[in-house]
Amino acid sequence: MRHLYLAYAGRRTGQAIVVVLLTYVVTFLAISVLPGDPVTSTLRNPENGFSEEEIARIVSYYGLDQPVAVQLWQALSRFLVGDLGVSMRTNLPVAQLVGAVVGSTLVLAASALAVALVLAGAIAYGAHRFPWAPGRSLLRSLPSFFLSVPTFVIGLVLIYVFAFDLGLFRVIEPDSAWATFFAALTLGVPVSAQLAEVLIAGLDHEAQQEYTSVARSRGLGEARLYLRHLLKPSSLPVVTVLALTVGELLGGAVITETIFGRTGIGSLVQRSVSTQDLPVLQAVVALAAVVFVVVNLAADLLYPLLDPRVRRVGSARSGAGVGAVGAGSAGVGSVGAGTPDGELESADVLAAFVADEQLAAVGDSAIEVPLEERVRVS
Amino acid sequence: MTVVSLRLPRRAAAGDRSPATASLAVARRRPPVDVLVSIGVLAVVLVWSVAPGLVTSQDPADGVPADKLLGPSAAHWFGTDHLGRDVFTRVVYGSSSSVLSALVAVAIGLLVGGLIGLIAGFIGGWVDSTLSRLVDVLLAIPGFLLAVVIVTALGFQTINAAIATGVSAVAVFARLMRAETIRTRQSVFVEAAYLQGGSATHVLTRHVLPNASRSVVALAVLQFGVSILVIASLAFLGYGDPPPASDWGLLVSAGKDYRTAPWLVYTPAVVIIATVLALNRVSRWLRKTD
Amino acid sequence: MSRTTASPTRLTALRRRARGLATTAVAALAATGLLAACATASGDAGAASSGSAGDASADAAGGEPQQGGDLVFLIDSLGDTWIPNNSAISSFQGQVWGHVTDKLVYVDDAGQVSPWVAESWEQNEDATQFTLHLRDGVTFSDGTPVDAAAVVANLDVWAKGDPDKGINPIGLFPKTYQSATAQDASTVVVTFSAPTLGFIPTLGYHGSILISPTTLALSGEEQADLSNDIGSGPFVVKSWKEGDSVVLERRDDYDWGPEALEHTGPAYLDTITYKIVAESSLRTSSVTAGQADVAYNAPPQELDGLAAQGFVIATPRYLGFVNGYAIDATVAPFDDPKVRQAFQHAIDRDEILSTVYTYDWLPAESFIQSNVPEATDHSADFAHDADLAASLLDEAGWTLGSDGVRSKDGTPLAVTLYPNPYLATSKAVDELVAQQLTDLGFAVDIQAYDVVTYGEKVIKNTTPIALTEITRSFIDVGTVASILTSANKGEDWFGVGETDTELNRLRDEVAGAVDTDSRAASVDELQGYVLQQGYFVPLTQIVQRIYVQNPALHGVTYNGIAYANYSAAWLEQ
Repeated sequence: MRHLYLAYAGRRTGQAIVVVLLTYVVTFLAISVLPGDPVTSTLRNPENGFSEEEIARIVSYYGLDQPVAVQLWQALSRFLVGDLGVSMRTNLPVAQLVGAVVGSTLVLAASALAVALVLAGAIAYGAHRFPWAPGRSLLRSLPSFFLSVPTFVIGLVLIYVFAFDLGLFRVIEPDSAWATFFAALTLGVPVSAQLAEVLIAGLDHEAQQEYTSVARSRGLGEARLYLRHLLKPSSLPVVTVLALTVGELLGGAVITETIFGRTGIGSLVQRSVSTQDLPVLQAVVALAAVVFVVVNLAADLLYPLLDPRVRRVGSARSGAGVGAVGAGSAGVGSVGAGTPDGELESADVLAAFVADEQLAAVGDSAIEVPLEERVRVS
Repeated sequence: MTVVSLRLPRRAAAGDRSPATASLAVARRRPPVDVLVSIGVLAVVLVWSVAPGLVTSQDPADGVPADKLLGPSAAHWFGTDHLGRDVFTRVVYGSSSSVLSALVAVAIGLLVGGLIGLIAGFIGGWVDSTLSRLVDVLLAIPGFLLAVVIVTALGFQTINAAIATGVSAVAVFARLMRAETIRTRQSVFVEAAYLQGGSATHVLTRHVLPNASRSVVALAVLQFGVSILVIASLAFLGYGDPPPASDWGLLVSAGKDYRTAPWLVYTPAVVIIATVLALNRVSRWLRKTD
Repeated sequence: MSRTTASPTRLTALRRRARGLATTAVAALAATGLLAACATASGDAGAASSGSAGDASADAAGGEPQQGGDLVFLIDSLGDTWIPNNSAISSFQGQVWGHVTDKLVYVDDAGQVSPWVAESWEQNEDATQFTLHLRDGVTFSDGTPVDAAAVVANLDVWAKGDPDKGINPIGLFPKTYQSATAQDASTVVVTFSAPTLGFIPTLGYHGSILISPTTLALSGEEQADLSNDIGSGPFVVKSWKEGDSVVLERRDDYDWGPEALEHTGPAYLDTITYKIVAESSLRTSSVTAGQADVAYNAPPQELDGLAAQGFVIATPRYLGFVNGYAIDATVAPFDDPKVRQAFQHAIDRDEILSTVYTYDWLPAESFIQSNVPEATDHSADFAHDADLAASLLDEAGWTLGSDGVRSKDGTPLAVTLYPNPYLATSKAVDELVAQQLTDLGFAVDIQAYDVVTYGEKVIKNTTPIALTEITRSFIDVGTVASILTSANKGEDWFGVGETDTELNRLRDEVAGAVDTDSRAASVDELQGYVLQQGYFVPLTQIVQRIYVQNPALHGVTYNGIAYANYSAAWLEQ
């Protein structure tokens, strides 16, 4: 069993490394096909009035006149030894630029995650326990609404109301507690919607289980019932969804940080994009890919260790050589599904979990990680 | 982002009608009120994009400069902008471009992603492994970041933003299609079809595609709404078309500079929200009915 | 150009706007609760501010300067690199450089040159050699003196850059520069290969900032770190964070400000913080909410409302070209002078001013701004006259079709406008121009690009582009000569090269002038010729840098390049 797990872990890690390197190459090629670079465009600012010869001389200093393949090889060999190069826009080392802003984005992302969890929990609980039926259905439709409002609208409205009209924070101090909170709220609202949908679906399912009515009949208080018995099983899918939202937090940071004037990875991307600062964009995309791959790898590797049921099902499946998607009848829509040679990934782990729960009886409304959160990108 | 779905067994094999499905079948004949409203909203948007001239008689590009920045009124439902143009007219005329760009995005995701997923799932083996790594790469880059990078590479125009959005959706479609393909291929009735001597093409067109279509169509509808939001966000950051184009995202983006004229932001924003909400609702309904 | 009082018309406008906002708020409530909060909020802000419209006499010095205070300046961006030569002309970083560094001469907003670090200067008869006498006791903030050797080092790097370090020369620095030598510790002799009357004014150009030789010796990567960039200005860099902010603090021993500013000692302000806020509405709202003192680059159409609320609006003009189109006279249909002239007369500049701008903007009188000392009024040559424009097009054979588009031999009268990404209002102006041209029978297309794409597709065009929208400052009118034609690698704006002998004759006169009076006469003739040929279509005088200020801020000055100077500014506390 153990060697099976180790082999699986090794293979997944290897794949992760390949994915990160490929990401770097793909980004490089994507940005390289376009004409123009920050150096030349600064030189071409009409205020400068440089001749083409003067421009060509400086361009060759930056190696921008080399063929793409040579540039790619140089960039990749530097990347492999951890050298991210020098920003063409600011002339500063990329590592220094990214290092200076990464903390701010981490704080924002962590706060956003916390806000999203609390919000999702509140919505899910309210959707079940709110004393007034129309209120419950309103809460149920709230996630849909959250997913339909552009992030920049949420951000602008929060700033106008809370910064300018209520004076809770100053736009020029984006790192203050309130400013961070509202930025986190902006970033966290769409994420909370996804989590809430999963939680609501989970609670819906658990609430119909036999043990719930048994617990109720024994006089267990509702709040305790939810906290101790229903929340835990319902939150397992949430863990997987959380790992998947990491990328979304990074992508969403572009807009949130720009609006709130925070200096983070997102606003660095925004500035680098407008000047086509290739080395910085490459580094950020590679970083994002590393974070995403590592978090999801960790989730995949931890899952079988955490949940004994999954371990059993997983090994049974590997042993049987059945494709992950074929695991029971449950993994049906599981698109994160492993390769047919029986590998485990978080999604089929979940599928196995659901299969174990014998959900088949409840019908189509059972746990379904909503499509929204699978495709949501901003 | 990644597609994780724990869906219950679909009644792929015929004859398995639980009571739940039966009631759903009834529900399908009479769509709920909110679905009807949503379809109504989408119909209005469709009319705006196909025949804007029917809805408004004003010119989206030519305003009366003297009437600039007027608030909403009977004459100008959504007010006027900084050049005295009617914002309602601009929203209506912007529909076709907004809808078209979202369509392009969905089409790219659906065709490219669907094809990758279909090939990977149907052929399997090393083809599957190779394509899956490629999809992993697309998946590892946060979607919005990917869209930003691609739109930078292509140039800041709405059509390029649409292409970028489509590319960032390829991975999602690929994964869904691959899973659906594998699921159908391994199901009992397809095995049966093979045993009866059905060709690969036959299996593909008669079993795999029809079975995959339900969730893929639902995803496409949903992705349509997401694309509108992503393209609007890209426009907000300044990666859209030049004036006097009036895509919804561009309208919000241009309007946000005029704080004394908030209608420039919230009228197109409400149209965006209503459209996306309606698409979400319809997508959900499509998934729940068969 | 700063506004001092809120006129009655502005107050009326405010009331009208307040009513509009009330309606808006109601409509928004009906729409969605969330968004309504936003609209109501702005309604409140409008109502509250009308009460504070009393104190509008802000820019007039309100009593004795007060010591101390921290100024917060909100800016759209802080540009890219901080290598001094590569960033000094930036509209954003130039704001910072102006406080961290000094220049050899000061040029005010009327183009008048006065002494600064260079106490006095003389030139030889044919304007090819200049001698600069430096002021004593000026030091960089690292303690090294601003002496002749330092000035020579700076002149060399301005003129030639340092390509091996990726350091650009200063654009517009006279290409005729030969060498500079230190005659003694406070005397520098500069020689040129040809008459260069523009040299002295160029020393007051925003690119010509004096940097410590210690900094100049550093690598490009090190110079890109603002903390390493040492100047001799009234402020020094306290801290900075890329993409976020720059904080400057007063240099207490500063005592060599330009005499033209009257206050030459240390600054009154303790610190200046330049903070990036990318959204223009957030910048102005921060100032109106009392969270910051200056907002840079507000949309012109918001200015009336802000002025009515008591905020000080400054719209200084820089010395340079007006905003307008340079026409490539080799590109059809503009190869016909009548079409070019029709274009000139088709433009309703009043409508542009009243729609896109406020009345603080001025119509163009020539193709150079009217505060340039040599500018003369040629507005009759291109006055708005739609009938004249139509008859010129008729004469040129462009007849109006049933679809409202003129054509000639089956070719439609088509034109593409490329809004200039360096001017925020450019898109709105071009949209309006497009409307005006469409009325006359042009088929107009607008193609807007971001800065990078614009550089590729418009500035470095492979196929000639008919209309290039100009936004360009210069400190000395001699620049005009070096740009308009192809001589000496000029930019050949009108595409005529050497073929237009009259244009080239005037160019040679301006470039070769050895005294300013004779040059002024040639420049006048040049302006008339270019405009009558229809080579240039002026729109409006340009204001590229707009400031919205807290009324408690006094003593701000603007130099010839329209940068705000806070070395004599103070905050009422």
